[in-house]
Amino acid sequence: MRKVLVIQEDIIILKILERLVITNEFECKAIRSLNALTIEDQQTNFDFIITDILFEGIAPLEFVAQVQEIIPHKNLLVVTNMGQDKIKMEIFALRGITGFYAVPIDLDEIEYIIQAY
Amino acid sequence: MNETNVSYFIGFVLSILVIYWISIAVSVIYRKIRVKQISRIEHTFADVVSRYLYNDPLNPLSISEINETLKSVGIRPHNKNNIQYLISLMIRTQRTILGGNYIKIKKLYTQIPPYNASFSKISSWNWYRRARGIREIYEMNQSQYLDEVVKFRNHRNIFVRREAQIAMVVFLGWESLRFLPYLKRNMTLWQQIKIVEKLYDHYPKPELKFLHRAYKTDKLFGKKLLMRIIRKFQLHSETDFILEHLIHEDYEVRETAIYCLQTFAVSSERMNFIKQIYEKVTDSSQQAQLLNYIFENSDIDLDFYLQQLYGPNEELKLNVAEILWNNGYKEKVQEFYYQQYSKKEELNAQ
Repeated sequence: MRKVLVIQEDIIILKILERLVITNEFECKAIRSLNALTIEDQQTNFDFIITDILFEGIAPLEFVAQVQEIIPHKNLLVVTNMGQDKIKMEIFALRGITGFYAVPIDLDEIEYIIQAY
Repeated sequence: MNETNVSYFIGFVLSILVIYWISIAVSVIYRKIRVKQISRIEHTFADVVSRYLYNDPLNPLSISEINETLKSVGIRPHNKNNIQYLISLMIRTQRTILGGNYIKIKKLYTQIPPYNASFSKISSWNWYRRARGIREIYEMNQSQYLDEVVKFRNHRNIFVRREAQIAMVVFLGWESLRFLPYLKRNMTLWQQIKIVEKLYDHYPKPELKFLHRAYKTDKLFGKKLLMRIIRKFQLHSETDFILEHLIHEDYEVRETAIYCLQTFAVSSERMNFIKQIYEKVTDSSQQAQLLNYIFENSDIDLDFYLQQLYGPNEELKLNVAEILWNNGYKEKVQEFYYQQYSKKEELNAQ
């Protein structure tokens, strides 16, 4: 089964994205921080990672770089409250980013991407 | 002080300490319980909203089930703290979502608690509470209460009327400008900015017919608000309204007109109009701002600058001379200087 990892500190966005992913027949692992990641998760090749970039104790760009480095994945979607153009440009400059969605988000757009996969 | 008194004193101090420790313990326990309760409400609400937005056709979530679930975590009419926390969660959620799901959430909010909590706040005697109620109503887009909220647009308390005016903008959009001529109390700069921002966020497509009707307002704050709207939406076709107010008798209206004009590059015809009215601007600091605008947005018009250099306005001659000096007309500035020098000598000789 296709797998998605959702990392969001905000429980409401986390739960909504989790439901969205499950409804589209993906297996979903939803966590609020990287600390909740198990060793098995780090060995799984996720079809999508949907993550925030704003976490305590780590810079947004560093967080994305860390996720890219430690978790095998095919696509990385960023869903965040930090929607400033500068941040967006810096995130896309990292390469390997499939999409960047700033809150407020249209969940249909994320659903289309997942369905099209 | 004898031994008995000392022992009484120690007993008294100890009893105070014990009370103090007990109150700390109660406070710690209460906070722990409250944090747990809040976390439960948050998790339950997140679960309910997610299941409502992406309902499982095999196990559909009904509204009565949602209400029961919320009730089970303490969302009850008498528990006002929990209801207030739920309202904050509802507003937070609605702010994060757009599109079809936003409409779904709006519909959900009309069917679940908080038992008209926001609406009941607007009849409170406390102004702050009333303003908060209005704010919650427009943040959750509960447009069914519009008629009640509109009544507060001229309220004597600044917070209440500010929130009511913002609510009108959120619910009615550009149409809300038709109330502008009928507003009786002053609108602060902060209020104007909030209204412009809300209008821009909720209704980014301008509806000029409502703007044109609002031009008739004779209220100074109304004129300033309209100029700020023209600026925010970059309505180039409406810059004449700003230009008209460059020579308004009120200092702040002129100030706003100059501020708003600075974001536009106007046509040469309009620039000529600005040059014509330039001398009619009564305040020299505003004239300096306008001079700077003319210099930055048009080619050097030698006749205009020479007119200013030889004109009666002594305060801005240095600025005009600087512009001419830096733009290839040094000899004109020198000529003006020597001409002054010769006049002085003639006066001394006499």
